[in-house]
Amino acid sequence: MVEFIKSIIDNINYVASVALFVIGLYTVLTHSNLLKKVIGLNIMETAIFLFFVSIGYVNEGRSPIINLGGDKMLYINPLPSAIILTGIVVAVSITAYSLSLIIKIHEAYGTIDLNEIMEIKGEKSNG
Amino acid sequence: MDNIHFPIYSIVLLLTASVLIPLLNIEFKKIKLFLVSVLAIAWLLTLKALLYVYKVGSFTYNFGNWNEAIGVQLLVNEFSAFMSLFILTLSLLILIYSFKDMEHVINNHKLNDYYTLVFILIFSMIGITYTNDLFNMYVFMEILSLTSCSIVSIKNKKETYMSSFRYLVISTIGSLSILFGIAMLYMVTGHLNIGKSYEIISVAWQLFPTNILTAVGFILTGLAIKAAMFPLHVWLPDAHSSAPSASSALLSSLVVKVYIFSAYKILFNVLGETIVNALGIPAFITFFAAMGMIMGSVFAIGQKDIKRVLAYSSVAQLGYIFLGLGLVSTDGLAASMFHIISHGLMKSALFLSAGAIIYYKDKRNINDLDGIGYEMPITMLVFTVAALGMIGIPGINGFMSKIYLSFAVLGADKPIYLILILVSSFLNAIYYLPIIISAFLKESKERKNIMVLDKLPKTMIVPMVILALGSLILGFYPHLIMEAIEKAVPTFLQ
Amino acid sequence: MKSDENVKLSSRNNNLLPVKNSRFNSFCIDCIVIFIASAAIILGFITITNVGLGETVLKIKIDLLKRILYSITHFKYLPLFIIGTPFLGSLIELYWGRKSDDLRDVTVVNTTFISLILVLALYPQAINGGQILEISKVLGFGLHFKVDMLSFSMLFTTSILWLLVMIYSHDYMLIENHRSRFYFFMSVTYGAVLGTVMAADLFTMFLFFEIMTFSSYMLVSHCEHDDCIVAGYNYIYMGVIGGLSILLGGILLYVKTGTLEFIPMASMLQDIGPLKYWIIGLFVFGFGIKAGMAPVHIWLPKAHPVAPTPASALLSGIMIKIGAYGILRASTTIFFPASFEISSYKDILWIPAQSLGGFIIWLGIATMALGVFLALQQSNIKKMLAYHSVSQMGYIVMGIGVAVYLGYKGGMGYSGALYHIINHALFKSLLFMVAGVVYLQTREVDMYKLGGLWKKMPITAIVCLIAALGITGMPGFNGFASKSLLHHAIIEAYQYGHYSFKYAEIIFTIISAGTVCSFIKLFGFVFLGKLPQKYNNIKSNYRMMEMAMGGMALMIIGIGLKPDYLLNKFIIPAVRNVTYDPAFIDKYLVDINFFNSFDMTAMIWVYILGIITFALGIKFHLFHIQLPKWLNIEYIFFLPLLKTVQLIRKLMLKGNGVDNGELHVITEDDDDLANEKEGGLQKFVATVHIFTNKYETRIIRSDVVIYSIVLTSIMVLLIIFK
Repeated sequence: MVEFIKSIIDNINYVASVALFVIGLYTVLTHSNLLKKVIGLNIMETAIFLFFVSIGYVNEGRSPIINLGGDKMLYINPLPSAIILTGIVVAVSITAYSLSLIIKIHEAYGTIDLNEIMEIKGEKSNG
Repeated sequence: MDNIHFPIYSIVLLLTASVLIPLLNIEFKKIKLFLVSVLAIAWLLTLKALLYVYKVGSFTYNFGNWNEAIGVQLLVNEFSAFMSLFILTLSLLILIYSFKDMEHVINNHKLNDYYTLVFILIFSMIGITYTNDLFNMYVFMEILSLTSCSIVSIKNKKETYMSSFRYLVISTIGSLSILFGIAMLYMVTGHLNIGKSYEIISVAWQLFPTNILTAVGFILTGLAIKAAMFPLHVWLPDAHSSAPSASSALLSSLVVKVYIFSAYKILFNVLGETIVNALGIPAFITFFAAMGMIMGSVFAIGQKDIKRVLAYSSVAQLGYIFLGLGLVSTDGLAASMFHIISHGLMKSALFLSAGAIIYYKDKRNINDLDGIGYEMPITMLVFTVAALGMIGIPGINGFMSKIYLSFAVLGADKPIYLILILVSSFLNAIYYLPIIISAFLKESKERKNIMVLDKLPKTMIVPMVILALGSLILGFYPHLIMEAIEKAVPTFLQ
Repeated sequence: MKSDENVKLSSRNNNLLPVKNSRFNSFCIDCIVIFIASAAIILGFITITNVGLGETVLKIKIDLLKRILYSITHFKYLPLFIIGTPFLGSLIELYWGRKSDDLRDVTVVNTTFISLILVLALYPQAINGGQILEISKVLGFGLHFKVDMLSFSMLFTTSILWLLVMIYSHDYMLIENHRSRFYFFMSVTYGAVLGTVMAADLFTMFLFFEIMTFSSYMLVSHCEHDDCIVAGYNYIYMGVIGGLSILLGGILLYVKTGTLEFIPMASMLQDIGPLKYWIIGLFVFGFGIKAGMAPVHIWLPKAHPVAPTPASALLSGIMIKIGAYGILRASTTIFFPASFEISSYKDILWIPAQSLGGFIIWLGIATMALGVFLALQQSNIKKMLAYHSVSQMGYIVMGIGVAVYLGYKGGMGYSGALYHIINHALFKSLLFMVAGVVYLQTREVDMYKLGGLWKKMPITAIVCLIAALGITGMPGFNGFASKSLLHHAIIEAYQYGHYSFKYAEIIFTIISAGTVCSFIKLFGFVFLGKLPQKYNNIKSNYRMMEMAMGGMALMIIGIGLKPDYLLNKFIIPAVRNVTYDPAFIDKYLVDINFFNSFDMTAMIWVYILGIITFALGIKFHLFHIQLPKWLNIEYIFFLPLLKTVQLIRKLMLKGNGVDNGELHVITEDDDDLANEKEGGLQKFVATVHIFTNKYETRIIRSDVVIYSIVLTSIMVLLIIFK
């Protein structure tokens, strides 16, 4: 039991990111408000970024700034952090686009609740 | 090669063009020639690259001359050059079609934006085809997902907003799954480059099998969402049917296929055949593919809107492609690639002709299409040729892909799928034949059945006819494409 | 039900174009010229083949003529030209059709005539066994053509028949619309039929078979009224199913044996086990749908009454024979060993053929019985003729069955089947043409409402009599020869094989009597008796149609008087190509005496039995018995499926609080199982509609739910694997 808790604490980043992913997925699943779905998506994205960046951690490594002293140093892996910057940009653009879509949906339907929108759509196709 | 920077010329050209369109701010009428010429030049460059690859061999290109372990690498081999050529050909034809069609659908001042988006879409598709780096693939996928959602929502109607929002949410969840899977793969192999990962993967498989299993599970789920494998196809009918016709054609024939290319790369170039077989993936993929083939057609039978029928039909045809993929054999892969090309041709022909009907008559319900074959004979002839190909009539390329797929299935010793393929062909007949029959044989309520030529603009008729002719020619001489495919298959499987 | 159909048919035609009397114009001149020319050519062909090809060649003195003839008849690409002529002709007809009817019909008749000449030119190649013409790379596997004597007999019959029907159809089609479309698809079908018969491997045959199915669909659905479209749906769906089963059988065969050519394969299939029965079963099922074999004959009685008469004539005359041709080819090559592999008829390689043959014989008997029984109840002339087509196809299928069952000694069955194919083509299309002329003059298809027409249409009556005597098997007419061959075949089946075929022979005789009875009924009710008042003013002056019908009647009489010509020159060479005992063929088939006492007495018994049945039927009004609903074959066959579909429908509609108007409409029609317009397929489609309406939006809304389920199952699998 103790090793179990110890291993969780050692890998707390990964555990947290999985937990965040599940929380985000739950949000997208259960809330019918479109804005909350977008927030859920953002939480999921943050979870993945956290996961990716934590891969780059090397035990007892230093920040990846070149030491002009010439000693051989153990650096953490800078590649994931660099890559995730691109990922964050992508996430921001998706959020921006989805928010503008929500505005247009509100203009068209008058509501941003998914259940009400489906009812309006259902009436339209029946009537 | 003339210049070592050759492969990226077509990519950079497309990107530059897409940036130039809003900057130049010219009125739409004058820009058409520019757009067509850009695509044509990109097409010629890709053709040159393909011929070079056939003569000399495949080669890689590192961006900025950085080593592939830390930089982005492009791989130009028989597969990627051939498929980029296919993407550019179809995009060129659909683009020519869309000039007149889009004016009908969206406001004039938005047309420039639309073409910017289309060019970025084509750029990202070619990027995914060429790339040899996993994260680069993810970035291109995101660009593709954004632009494909936007070419759906550019039509200002209520249903497009909702369907494009749903498409966006589901697509993002899919991309996040893929990124998660890539992250897990990176954890065990330490490389994002496909070639370098492949060298290490067998060692990693011995040490960390669960990691790779989780990674593959997430990646396949994500790709299944984006490539519309049953049961994760639910976004497709809404998105493809509410989009403007040229966008539906682009989406249905090209965008979903590009994700299958990434599935090829990840399954066969990163993991390799042995790990894929050890994981038991073929059983899953073939099972869901078979379900998709049947259920896609069953859902299509119950639809009344012609574009929804075509969208569900896409789900069924993607089932065929996944079946070929899931067999994990050279025959299966060749059949799958052949069906990608033939489905691309036929589905674009179908969507473009459906779009022409909507453009001219403003009718989408299949019960309203009685007697339309006399008003628009060329359009309905294109529709008939493509639909007969979907059913599997010999002489059109759909039949040849079914034959190749059947032989692949029997070669992998799974005869049950053969019966499913034929049942699915029969189900296809149930919903395509009534449309064709009522178009040509029933009396239209508005006019007498006298045949006149279509009153459509030439830029709309010519691409449709070229696509139908292409299907016919490929149907009679499939070896024209099969030779190229048989050179492309060894890049994945031996 | 039947009278309703007749009322509908006659009432709908009241607003069509008036019947034009045929003028003596360019079309007539052209037709007469071609008719005389083709008669001359055919007579010349008969003389040449009678005398022998070698001797004729010797008699040609002019060297240049000899060389030209040699190069034409041995031209390697001749099959392609034969197929290409109708296809090219169809395009030309479409073009001319815009300008003038006559010009177009002249083109039709001329292209058919050219095809006839080219077909006749194939004879030297065919008699020598035929060479394989390969066009590689087309359709991935390449097309292969080969003309041997079996193909040549079919080609010969097809082209003569097509020519005569095309001459006939000019006058008939004046009452229909969209004539150019009709002729276009007619020519495409002709080309496809020629291609199917000349195919040397299954793949090429499948290609042309599908083209034939789809272009003949347009002929069946020509009239565009609702009943035509429903019959057309039935036709094309069954055609697609047939094509798919042939494809499935072909793919399995290719994977197991590596080749699709029609070569004897019994040794290759020996070790496969039960799979070979599946393969041949698929072929028999697929080709059987086209051939109108029970129990999948149901499209036939629906399609024939609604199609225009030239199309029905050719559908019954040629296209269903293609199904029989397919069964014949497939079973006599796939299940037969090559001649050098066997020593006698008891060799074990023949065992699969025996089981298959027995099965096909009983299928044939069932078809025969079903066809005649249902034909006796019909009042619509065309529907009756359609059921008779089913029945006569039963004869042919039975003959094929004997040909396969007796294995090495099956030569008699094979020749009987082939002979009956040729004969049936002639007299059945002639009967349909007669029905067409009657319809043209009186607009009536119910035979009970007609009568005494021999006074108004004497030539038609004579021709009808000749055809009826042909189909019933009167000595002196062509049916006698083929029916006696088939009779001998079934006797051999129980002599050399299982004793139960004695009952088959008894049923055979009864069915022939039933045929006699049915045609006495037809001829009596339509042509004899009293002429109803309203037909007093009809005039029969369709010269071209009568010329065509007369030509066909002359052929019937000609074959009837000299049956050995066809047997010796066409059929026996075809039989020799298959692995049959040459001694058997020489002993029993060559120079057979058709007019022997055994066969003639058998025929007399058949006729007496038929006349007695007819008398009984008239006295006790047996012909108006309608079978109860539940005995209808379609019902029995598809009842479980229909019931399942109904059950699913009821389950889905239960507890549906918010109905929209559509759902209510479907519930009301639900209990009307007697609604015949809704075939099983329509019910299936409607059920799917309800399913989609109810569940689709819910499925689309739950997209993320599906994703989470998939993800959790992956995790679960992970834990299990760990």
